[in-house]
Amino acid sequence: MRNLIDFFVRNSAWFVFIFYMILSSILLFNNNPYQHSVYLTSANIVVSSIYDKINSVTSYFYLRDINEDLQKRNAALELEVLALREIVKDYKAQSMDSIQSPQSQYDYILSRVISNSISLQHNYITINKGTEDGVVSEMGVVDQNGVVGIVNVMGKKSSRVISLLNPNLRLSCKVKGSDYFGSLVWDGKSPNYAILEEMPRHVEFEKGDTIVTSGYSAVFPEGLNVGVIENQLTSGGDNFYSLRVRLLSDFSHLSTVRLIKNNMKEEYDALKNMDFENRKEGKK
Amino acid sequence: MTKYAFLSAMMFLVVIFLQVVCNRICLFNIAVPFVFIYFILRLPLSLSVNWVMTLSFLIGLVVDIFSNTYGMYAMSSTIIGGLRKPIFTLFYPREDEMSIPIPSISTLGVSTYLKYMFTLVLIFCVVIYVIQLFTFYNFSLTLMRIIGSSLLTAVILFGFDSIVTTKS
Repeated sequence: MRNLIDFFVRNSAWFVFIFYMILSSILLFNNNPYQHSVYLTSANIVVSSIYDKINSVTSYFYLRDINEDLQKRNAALELEVLALREIVKDYKAQSMDSIQSPQSQYDYILSRVISNSISLQHNYITINKGTEDGVVSEMGVVDQNGVVGIVNVMGKKSSRVISLLNPNLRLSCKVKGSDYFGSLVWDGKSPNYAILEEMPRHVEFEKGDTIVTSGYSAVFPEGLNVGVIENQLTSGGDNFYSLRVRLLSDFSHLSTVRLIKNNMKEEYDALKNMDFENRKEGKK
Repeated sequence: MTKYAFLSAMMFLVVIFLQVVCNRICLFNIAVPFVFIYFILRLPLSLSVNWVMTLSFLIGLVVDIFSNTYGMYAMSSTIIGGLRKPIFTLFYPREDEMSIPIPSISTLGVSTYLKYMFTLVLIFCVVIYVIQLFTFYNFSLTLMRIIGSSLLTAVILFGFDSIVTTKS
């Protein structure tokens, strides 16, 4: 017995080392980001309040670029409003029916990015809105230029967003103007580019075409800008090809983002569940 | 002893704050400074290995929480916490090592300290990027990142050590 205790005391360093290795391996290989606990992510109260303080200083640094982006976006939207107003006028002239504006399906929550990384393999963004502000899991996040990510862990006053620069996020996208869709995933090389995979071979496209969200999930509405086609990647003899896409959002300068709240999401989910139940019943 | 404990606690907080700020830096998409390992490099040599590893694990875990890396920094800093003593004796194989309380430029001299520091920084960067290799395989980019990050970190830590002189 004494020898055994002696052995443990003499080699205690090894046991401590192995203990910490196992502990960190458990954390490291717990791969699913949706299972991360709030306390061990940047969405916890202490970390997010520190980031908030730092951000209140650093958020001024890129204002010039961001302002320019916003002006451009504003101009584009103004043109679109004018065009739509013309169309509405035509319709009004055709029939006396007043066009009823239905309750909009999507709402926005404005939020500020308080921390952000682009140099890791699995990048996350922290924002300063949490469950108290109505943030729920799997809300889409966009900035003035395009899609940024999807909310995944929520604290009370802050949440963590899976960045588009994270291989765990796959985004269903299509070439603007066509209906064929593929999935966009980051390849870990440059924060400015991602890969659009599984595009059918017969889709026609040109360099510079815009890639938009497909709207096949309840997370993002259809037609949000994501990126621009840069070039085609050579692939083997299969029926699909991959495109290299230059992302429109500048991930190194994220500041204010919008969270997309889908008012129909509950209905979607209910329908999905119903379908699932029906299939289950059918199997019985 | 209480003086060392107080200084170490201060160092812990300062270094984490610096790392949180430095997390935004990524030079040429390859070089990231890992300044928080300065804390591990400068723990007193008389501290037992178990304590060094515990503190390394803790500081790694705190940085993990800040940067959403989930165990990556904790694992790498535990490894260099464990390897610190063997590497120190490798470059300073003298008997009177107990006379040196804290490894720094003023106590070791520039060349010995550089060797000691750069070896640990290199090991740290290799471990960090090998862990990332599990999810993403690109050998040349990983090699560039290891070299870039360890050079940048070493330069910053060297500058750091020139400012924080030990007057004891």
